[in-house]
Amino acid sequence: MMTIVIGRLSQAFLLLLVMSVIAFAGIHSVGNPVFNIVNIETATPDDIRNATIALGLDQPFWWQYFLFMKNVLSGNFGTSYIYHLPAFSLVMSKLPATFELAVIAMLIAAPCGTLIGLVAGRHQGGLFDRVVLRASVFALSIPSFWLSMMLILLGAILLGWFPASGRGTTAVWFGMEWSALTSDGWRRLTLPALALALPNIALIARLARAGAIEVEGQDFIRFCRAKGLSPQRILFRHTLPNISIPIVTIIGMQFGGMLAFAVVVETIFAWPGVGKLLIDSIQLLDRPVVMATLTFVSVVFVGLNALVDLFYAVLDPRVRLST
Amino acid sequence: MTTETLRLLWKSRREYCFTLSGLLLASYFIVAVTAPFIAPQDPYDPLQIQAWEASSPPGTHSGSGFVYWLGTDGLGRDIVSTILYGLRISLFVSITSTLIAAFIGLTLGVSAAYFGKWVDAVIMRVVDLQLSLPTILVALIAIVTLGPGIDRIILAIVIVQWATYARLARGVALSEIGKSYMDAARLLRLPKRRVILRHLLPNSMAPAITLIPIELGHAIALEATLSFLGLGVPVDKPSLGSTVANGFQYLLTGQYWISLFPGIALFALIASINFASEDIRHRLNPRSRSHGV
Amino acid sequence: MVCDNANNSLLQVDNLTLRHRSPAGATTILKDVSLTLRRGEILGLIGESGAGKSTLGNAILGLLNPEFERVAGSILFDGMLLDDMDERQWTKIRGRRISAIFQDHTASLDPLMAIGPQLEEAILASIDETLRDEAYEVTIDLLTRVGIPDARERYHSYPHQFSGGQRQRIVIAIALAGAPDIIIADEPTSALDATVQKQILALLRELVDETGVSIILVTHDMGVVSDITDRVVVMRCGEVIEQGFTAALLDAPSREYTRSLLKAVPRLRLSDQRGAPNKAETLASSPDEHARAEVGAQASPILVVRDVTKTFSESGLGWLRKGADKVALESVSVELTRGAITGIVGESGSGKSTIGRIIAGLETANDGTLSIDDMNFDVARPGHRSGLLGQVQMIFQDPAISLNPRMTIGETLRESVRFGNAKAGDPAALIAGMLDRLQLAQPLVTRYPHQLSGGQKQRVCIARALLAGPRIIVADEPTSALDVSVQAEIVALLKECVIEQGVSMLFISHDLALVQALCSSIYIFRNGQVEDAGSSDFIFARSQNPYTRGLIEARSSRFTH
Repeated sequence: MMTIVIGRLSQAFLLLLVMSVIAFAGIHSVGNPVFNIVNIETATPDDIRNATIALGLDQPFWWQYFLFMKNVLSGNFGTSYIYHLPAFSLVMSKLPATFELAVIAMLIAAPCGTLIGLVAGRHQGGLFDRVVLRASVFALSIPSFWLSMMLILLGAILLGWFPASGRGTTAVWFGMEWSALTSDGWRRLTLPALALALPNIALIARLARAGAIEVEGQDFIRFCRAKGLSPQRILFRHTLPNISIPIVTIIGMQFGGMLAFAVVVETIFAWPGVGKLLIDSIQLLDRPVVMATLTFVSVVFVGLNALVDLFYAVLDPRVRLST
Repeated sequence: MTTETLRLLWKSRREYCFTLSGLLLASYFIVAVTAPFIAPQDPYDPLQIQAWEASSPPGTHSGSGFVYWLGTDGLGRDIVSTILYGLRISLFVSITSTLIAAFIGLTLGVSAAYFGKWVDAVIMRVVDLQLSLPTILVALIAIVTLGPGIDRIILAIVIVQWATYARLARGVALSEIGKSYMDAARLLRLPKRRVILRHLLPNSMAPAITLIPIELGHAIALEATLSFLGLGVPVDKPSLGSTVANGFQYLLTGQYWISLFPGIALFALIASINFASEDIRHRLNPRSRSHGV
Repeated sequence: MVCDNANNSLLQVDNLTLRHRSPAGATTILKDVSLTLRRGEILGLIGESGAGKSTLGNAILGLLNPEFERVAGSILFDGMLLDDMDERQWTKIRGRRISAIFQDHTASLDPLMAIGPQLEEAILASIDETLRDEAYEVTIDLLTRVGIPDARERYHSYPHQFSGGQRQRIVIAIALAGAPDIIIADEPTSALDATVQKQILALLRELVDETGVSIILVTHDMGVVSDITDRVVVMRCGEVIEQGFTAALLDAPSREYTRSLLKAVPRLRLSDQRGAPNKAETLASSPDEHARAEVGAQASPILVVRDVTKTFSESGLGWLRKGADKVALESVSVELTRGAITGIVGESGSGKSTIGRIIAGLETANDGTLSIDDMNFDVARPGHRSGLLGQVQMIFQDPAISLNPRMTIGETLRESVRFGNAKAGDPAALIAGMLDRLQLAQPLVTRYPHQLSGGQKQRVCIARALLAGPRIIVADEPTSALDVSVQAEIVALLKECVIEQGVSMLFISHDLALVQALCSSIYIFRNGQVEDAGSSDFIFARSQNPYTRGLIEARSSRFTH
């Protein structure tokens, strides 16, 4: 067990290191951010040189990476070229919005998807099962940006029930602002959360269905029936624990995926979260913020994956009890 | 694929869903190829566009005599024509990138399995790294690194997708290498080339090929998403995704048609590819028929 | 007498006909099957794959998939008709009155639940509320009863922490939990090694004698049938061919098919005398061949392997790895007699396949020497470097994966002629001759492997090995994936080919009788070491090695002479 934990953590660490190099190199090769600060038409060569030095861009590439890593490890990603705020605290200030959106979307998607998948899988080949299969292909075929736009068209323009953009009124809790604590916030959360949840319902339902079919087809379930257990007991004590392992895994992974896909949904709903910040910063060549955002999302994602793997190990005695 | 798989597919041609998505796909391809000849106007030729006809609702008669069946966009371009031209770009980008990704992924995956040792270690570390991150994140990092342009978008999609093929092909190739017929080939001291081309590749390719349609659907959606975010194809070569994006600002003022119809075209394209690929997979592998994923 | 029989009858299957519906159409799985099971007896249900014996077992348990449809007939159990019961009634029958043991002990147990609770829930499902508190004690008793030592400590262990034999014992304990009248045992020992198999069968017999439970034992193994069953039902293609008391039926089978099944079972010969009465039935070599083999043994061996050691490194992160590497072979020495068949016998994990692959050059060893006809090869280097690869050809265990599925039989064989060390000659003529020799029809060359039967595929594999013109062939369990009747043909072919082509062969098997029938000298492997070695006569008649004797005694006595 200890081997697995250490192995998984060192793997995650390695992953992050490689990520940071790639991302840093990537950001470095794009455009010259100096021109975002100084006015191209009026700037003298001296102005440009001073701005370059001020941004630390005159240093060699590897030295910039070294400084960057040194800063990253002390939580300092530099100052935003645009907002003139520390990049990391900028990202952190946007985090509650994204986190809130993803959590609510997952709270919709996980139970719905699991339930639909289990019911479909237990009545494999039936009408409900076939409808679920077809519908899930449809749901997974809708590009998320178009789904968001259609939700706006339906919920905000045609029905007029929900506002199309923004976070609305927020309430402060633990020093951070949350929309979910006010009724106006809830109305604004509904559409983006649905946009994020729908494809995930389809995905989780398909995986839960496949898991149910696979587990139900195994010999030990047949043996449970042969030893005279009631169908309820087989379902709750044998089928569900065995299905839960793949489902928990996929839910964990999808939560990370939601944080990333919030990029699209947030942009459309003008939801002031990390995703919108990332897209805005890429377009404005705000290098420190892009770096801070990408690093942060990667850390969260890699961390989540590692957690899911460890959780998997805890659930499965074959892994837990191996030396 | 062998003649047998083709026969299997041909046998199932009568099933309505399969037929429907197949027909839809075929017409999409025909329309995309012939767009310049069948489109009412060339939406990117300024001489053919009348600015005063901007944002006309569907059914409006144009000054030059034809009907704007789906209306015009904010610059006065015929929506039907922008869909047809956008389809060309979307399909070109996604098909090219999917084929390149399949080729690279298959080659690297089979090589990793066959050569093992450090070749395997290096290739699979990169694959693991990539597959552990959400596709959209990888695509964004790639785009940020590569910069704008159609070739860059294709490259970005290839970067996102090759790893899936590589992992699948490696897994299949490894299980084939473990089979006794590969041992028999080694015992005959066959030349490396012959082992790979006659024994390993033909038996490792089939699963990777069934992956192509699925990944094509993903590629179309990914390109559209990137273009929608303004990080995709350049403004003078708009794909379906950028056409939808153009209509976004008009959506809130009630001019829904500018983004609705290109969006439906995009959605129907992806859905028919997904339905067709799911059916193909189920038909080719009767045992997976029951397992949805 | 008739009346007595009727009272004794516990389960009666009458004219049962079952159909399986699939998109491809309906197929009849069981045709007009009738049989009777009496109290306290073990009824053997024997047949080759596809005989419908497992389907019959599932029908009695009410565990058939919905695609199966009963066309005619009935199953009567203790005065109750089982056919039309609903799932709620079945839960009262299953476990308490009829329970089951399946073949795959690993898959039969829930991997996420400790074995104690798995057994306890079966007990709880079948006893009165009032006895709830005693369930734990009953669990421990049952575990001890089936031979799990330290049952109290192992109550909380998970299935993967037990050996295969122990898992099957736990499965048996669970089957016994509801004190049933009938246990359907579907191939309960075929996933186990011979010695463990013997113990499990003995346990089943004991349980029948002590508790009076009846067992329907579904199997393909004549040895198992003759060892513990009281009566036997022979099935083929969904029909009952014949049935009767085991001893009588095996001594004088009335149907040709049963005779051929019996004849196909390799027999063990323990007496030293040649020309014993049942000689004609065995596959044993005739005296003059024996003489030949003995002469050959005096000539210099074609292959000499000395002190080969091989370890596998456990997978995992190098610097975190715990403990030592797994030793697969420990200073193993083997000699191969020229122009004869040498046998290696061992149970799974004994290293017998590993030494075969090292000799063929497919795997490296850590240490040791290997020479073929006084030419030395470095076994520590990969086969294509040391030149060992290509000297030896192999025949593999599973014909289904031994042929490239995307090459025709002709292409496979031509490749072997072209790249092997074959003598000069027209490849087409060589192949045609070889096909004739192996009784394969010429048109097969245009077919793909999946269009061939298992036996045909294995013949093609033999043809491929021989066409490459090797001096040595390693045959690794070449018959264990085949039905008994096909096994005998393949064994006969292997034997003839060695004599004709002057090839020397290493025959690896877990089946003592097979090895005796084929081999002039034998090595017995155990835990990566040579436990016993000698001429066939010595091993079977005179060897005093306790492990060897144990292996021989694990064989069914009926098929030992």
